[in-house]
Amino acid sequence: MSDTAAPVTVKGVKRAVSERPPGLWKTGWKKFSRNPFAMAGLVIVTLFVLSAVGARWIAPYDPAQIDMMFPNLPAGSEGHLLGTDELGRDIFSRLIYSSQISLLVGFSVAIVAVVIGTFIGAVSGYFGGWVDTIFMRFVDVMNAIPLLFLNILILTIFGSKFWYMILILGFTGWMGVARLVRGTFLQLREMQYVEAARAIGVSDWGIIIRHLLRNASAPIIVNATLMVGGAILSESALSYLGLGVQPPDTSWGLMLSNSREFMLVDPIQAVYPGLCILIVVLSVNFIGDGLRDALDPRKKAFKPRKGLGK
Amino acid sequence: MTEYLIRRTLQSILVMLLITVVTFILIHAAPGGPKQIYLSPNLSPEAAERQAANLGLDRPLPVQYFDWLGDLLRGDLGYTFKNNLPVGDLIWPTVGNTMILMGAAWLLSLIIAIPWGIYNSTREYGFSDQTASFIAYVGFAMPSFWFGIILQELFALKWDLLPLSDMWSMGKEGDIGDLLMHMVLPVSVLTLGFLAGYVKYARSSMLEVLDQDYIRTARAKGLGERRVVFRHALRNALIPVITVLGLDLPILVAGAALTENVFNWPGMGRMFVQMATQREYSVLMATTILIAFFVIIGNLIADILYAVVDPRVKLGRKGGASA
Repeated sequence: MSDTAAPVTVKGVKRAVSERPPGLWKTGWKKFSRNPFAMAGLVIVTLFVLSAVGARWIAPYDPAQIDMMFPNLPAGSEGHLLGTDELGRDIFSRLIYSSQISLLVGFSVAIVAVVIGTFIGAVSGYFGGWVDTIFMRFVDVMNAIPLLFLNILILTIFGSKFWYMILILGFTGWMGVARLVRGTFLQLREMQYVEAARAIGVSDWGIIIRHLLRNASAPIIVNATLMVGGAILSESALSYLGLGVQPPDTSWGLMLSNSREFMLVDPIQAVYPGLCILIVVLSVNFIGDGLRDALDPRKKAFKPRKGLGK
Repeated sequence: MTEYLIRRTLQSILVMLLITVVTFILIHAAPGGPKQIYLSPNLSPEAAERQAANLGLDRPLPVQYFDWLGDLLRGDLGYTFKNNLPVGDLIWPTVGNTMILMGAAWLLSLIIAIPWGIYNSTREYGFSDQTASFIAYVGFAMPSFWFGIILQELFALKWDLLPLSDMWSMGKEGDIGDLLMHMVLPVSVLTLGFLAGYVKYARSSMLEVLDQDYIRTARAKGLGERRVVFRHALRNALIPVITVLGLDLPILVAGAALTENVFNWPGMGRMFVQMATQREYSVLMATTILIAFFVIIGNLIADILYAVVDPRVKLGRKGGASA
């Protein structure tokens, strides 16, 4: 707390008293902005989002435009920054359009999973009892099924549609959030303000939404951020296996699976999409870790561990 | 202890049953219903009706479920559309191949990770510690199959040091040396994914133990640092690592599946994807259930081991749920 309290007292006692103490989000942003990794991640993700949104104007070619006159051009060829693939499609343009799919999947899956997980976690954490038992057994079941296999199974049964993939990844990825929210709720529901709210007649759902969820929002947001990276990786894996995004749409995973067939002719093609995935997921994870450090109130009093083990 | 064992085993059986229920619901929620899944699309409408009746698809759902469950328990996993082969014949030969891959990666990551984690715990935020953190970040963010492709391009295609893919070279089936050569790349890919996590885990578990009072006591009575770390701290620090090994099983299986597809390794993962493209639903269903069972048994074993090495568990005094 020491470093954040200082500027307030400098401004004079009168104003410091009338102002509310800096809230979670304000102190959080201060700490976040001082974390170089988190800020670098934020900048990189923003750049990727901007290029995905503006793909139409940034990409020099139509990503699906086949040009059999110039297949497998090397990087740095005239007019093709990163060369062309086996059908003469511009790799740079395809990378940009792929980022649309990958980011869309990443963020949508995180949202779907967080909504489901928060609901289930909140209900079982708040009400407890048999509801809790049933939901938690269900979580055990979902955790025991290897999700990659389950996702492939569902996608083959229902067909590889883009929206299906988002829903399926969301519906199979909520368990972590559910456990987290349940754990937080178990702690929070014993708080005195909950008791007070109940005493003045706030309904169960009012308490859950207005009091408990707001106080549990920080860990949920951190978890959601970290989930975006996982979803991008899952999407790329499914698309790589041929069960996710289908041509003529394009995604980084699909580009990787394409490049594999031309490994001998043009090995460098496999490098770009993988690098994009690595950079985006790494940045998102940096943001998530930065958020965790910034929003965790216990970290305010962080002192370096005494070197007992040295 | 016995009570804990029984409770834990019953729990596992319950979860297994629930998994079969989930899978059963999935079959019946499919757009064409179970007919899409069990009947070959090549059948004429009359033949399809007849076979549906044969399979009992017109009976009430609970009856169908228990019949299906009975078949599963008897080891009857169904037949493929193509050639009408028993599903088990397709799955069982791949299980061992996957186990070889997973077992090797798992052992290798433990052998490297535990000493490394201990070392890092004694030199917090040192160079080695930072390196492990870096590898962890990259390992978590990198698509493992991409790493596999890059390794193939470098070690097999560019430098020609190691075989590109498959489990054996042509005509060398059964040659252990040949198998080991083929294992190097896929096992490295799988190991990297796990190594970093385990290093961090062993480190933090060790740090937690080193903070305990009995370590201070050990130091206070004048024991050497080596003795404190290896005799007093290490044994206690390894206990939670066991649980993580159990919990990581599903991730390990999924990682193995992707790696198998990159390296054309004849394991369950590659078979699964091949069967998915051929829409052999019975095989997919049986494999999913089978892997889930393996995972549950793995978790059960991990929990039992945990109870064996940590007396607090069997006495039921362990604070807080394991969630």
